[in-house]
Amino acid sequence: MKTNDLILQTATKTVVFIILLFALHIFFAGHYYPGGGFVGGLLTSGAIVLLLLAFDVKTVKKSLPINYRLMIAVGLLFAIGTAVGSFLFNVPLLTHAFGYFTLPLLGKTSLHTAVLFDIGVYLCVVGATMTIIETIGVSE
Amino acid sequence: MAFQILLNFLLAFLWMIFESSFSINTFLIGYLLGLLILLIMRRFFNSRFYLWRVIAIVKLLLIFIKELFLSNLAVLKLVLRPKLNIRPGIFALQTKLESGWEITLLANLITLTPGTLVVKLSDDNQTLYIHAIDIQEVEDAIEGIKNSFEKAILEVSR
Repeated sequence: MKTNDLILQTATKTVVFIILLFALHIFFAGHYYPGGGFVGGLLTSGAIVLLLLAFDVKTVKKSLPINYRLMIAVGLLFAIGTAVGSFLFNVPLLTHAFGYFTLPLLGKTSLHTAVLFDIGVYLCVVGATMTIIETIGVSE
Repeated sequence: MAFQILLNFLLAFLWMIFESSFSINTFLIGYLLGLLILLIMRRFFNSRFYLWRVIAIVKLLLIFIKELFLSNLAVLKLVLRPKLNIRPGIFALQTKLESGWEITLLANLITLTPGTLVVKLSDDNQTLYIHAIDIQEVEDAIEGIKNSFEKAILEVSR
């Protein structure tokens, strides 16, 4: 039996944008407030799962042509890259550097290399979650 | 509508450049002046002047808030009634609305009105199946409410 999903799809088209923006907010708030790479990644995959529920797997694959296994690899590379960076300056492994810079638009901002590590965590979480869900969803 | 709003923003930015002061106040003054120019030139656009549509959206919001209050009061009356003499039932309602967001809005508004709940949408998007909590007394009143909602949504989208 095929049901008419028009209301669900229309609501999804609006809500997904809000979830993605909130995921980015949580990701960037992670240094001083609750949040960070893991929760941000889970929220992002939650938005993609909502799309998968409202539309078909085929449609979502066509509109988001992302290879999630490659995403895991890139995330791990980010994390390892921050570790390797500490060898260049003769400090212990995974030592992070930070400083205050005056940026246009943002004003005085502290830039921290832990953000790069967090991007790695984020990409790994999104990739792993979506790989699991897609693998379960496609196999009949 | 979107084109008119974009044009209004562009005029406001141009006003900021002309005044060479980039503050919120200058932007607001430029926006209001752009609104005036758009009002004068409204015959040249192929859609309505967008402020009327904004007013229609505000009207819809007020109707929505009113219905939310009334629906909660009606449910409170039903719950506190000692004897439950209601007759639930499902009836069909034909809509004139076409686009997806209009139907979604109508369905959500109907769900929030007193004693009604949208169960299903037919495959041709023209019939809503509605579950009413008390089908004998509410039917006519509901039709009136639906007409007012449909009118308000058509006011926004026309």
